[in-house]
Amino acid sequence: MADALPEPMVSRLPLAPLDLRVMVEDNVLIEAEDAPQAAAFANLCCGLLPLRAGTVKFLGHDWANTPHERASALRGRIGQVYGANSWISFLTVEANILLQQLHHTTVPAARLRDGAAELSLSFGLPGLPLTRPDELTFEDLVRASCVRGFIGQPRLIILMSPELERVADLRPALFNALAAARNRQAATIWLTLSHIVWNDRSIPATARLRLTEHGLVPGRALP
Amino acid sequence: MTGASVDSAAIAARRVLAVIGRVVRIRASFLLMLGAMSWGVLLEAGRPRSWRRTVRAEFRRTLRQAAGGGLATALVTAGLTGLALVAQALYWLGLTGQGELEGSLIVTVLVRELAPLLTGMVLLGRSGTVTVTELGLLRLGGQMNVMAAQGLDPFLLLVLPRTLAFALTSFTLGMFFVLGALVTGFVANSLLGAVQESLWTFFDHVLSSMRRVDFAMFPLKMLLIGALVALTACITGLTARPGDDAAVLLPRGFVRGVLAIMVASLAFSLAA
Repeated sequence: MADALPEPMVSRLPLAPLDLRVMVEDNVLIEAEDAPQAAAFANLCCGLLPLRAGTVKFLGHDWANTPHERASALRGRIGQVYGANSWISFLTVEANILLQQLHHTTVPAARLRDGAAELSLSFGLPGLPLTRPDELTFEDLVRASCVRGFIGQPRLIILMSPELERVADLRPALFNALAAARNRQAATIWLTLSHIVWNDRSIPATARLRLTEHGLVPGRALP
Repeated sequence: MTGASVDSAAIAARRVLAVIGRVVRIRASFLLMLGAMSWGVLLEAGRPRSWRRTVRAEFRRTLRQAAGGGLATALVTAGLTGLALVAQALYWLGLTGQGELEGSLIVTVLVRELAPLLTGMVLLGRSGTVTVTELGLLRLGGQMNVMAAQGLDPFLLLVLPRTLAFALTSFTLGMFFVLGALVTGFVANSLLGAVQESLWTFFDHVLSSMRRVDFAMFPLKMLLIGALVALTACITGLTARPGDDAAVLLPRGFVRGVLAIMVASLAFSLAA
């Protein structure tokens, strides 16, 4: 992201240019003001916001100059951990989790299912949920969100669910998944609304930034 | 006239045209979207790359829901139509000694007009409303943005398979409808003792009364009606605005669907 300035009418992002470079194995922790701003930033990273100026690239491809089909394929390599309202209600949780990988890859469905089941267990679920989203508890949906975000070995993972921080025993599994992603040379952007989380030194962040009216401002966690 | 006054006149004229154009565009936006999506479906349906496994799975799911769920309703409606139309036609034409007209009357009224209209209504009520609700909820709940961020094209994944599944369902249900109405009407008349011919002779009369163009028009009409029901439902759901709920979306989708069915039916009737 170089001097990226989104159109002001379509986002809640600051009117200052945004600069960010996320390399492989980076885990960037960014504090946003509110959920819409965090969502807008995530959309910016995925090339979904029109820019007034500057560029946003992913894997060397400038989103603005990438044809629609290619851009969709590139987004297939981004895993996102969303909040509770991100589920397609007429599909099962299993179908929701596998949808992105089934669409963008030719990996056999059985293998994807096995991978998803393994991830589900690692995130504390008894298995891959086969029910509809409205039949799961809040905590289980949050865990399922993590499964959906990490499945398929994405190159970039964007965590932007404030609910992640409310499920107490999810942290160890999440940190393990982040470590595994780093070992695979993936990068992570963790968008948080909580100053406490942003200051938490146990989170293995390679950089801590704040999304302010002046753009992305680096900071340091308090000792 | 000076250059400056020419420029300001041109700017004023452009502003007037922009205002007129904006009003026309808003009013015509639904039709424009319908045209654009129809063209998109025709283009993408022919590309093998469009038919990924997710799209195929959505096609199968929609086909199961629409055809499987709509068959019983279509057959019941066909039965009622058979009693109300076919049986009456056979009875009164037989009574007045004009039995030779039964085929052409049934083809003109049932095959060309009633079957497409009623099948379209069944499809709209039974499956079109489901599509309006599903897509409307996705739009209003923000799941459409989530899909876009995952690189899932809503047109490819939601609109294309639904349109083709509805088209196929419409044709299938239409065939069952015609058959069901004919059989019901014939059986009803047989029970009244008013029929002097066999079922096969009756079918032969109906088939003989069909022109060659009817064998092409009927399938095309059914396919188009099914596709239009899907497209109007998809557009209604995908253009849901904040504040819209089922009480707003469903009537809107239903009215659009009914108008589309009737316009399509009329267009084919006039063309034939």
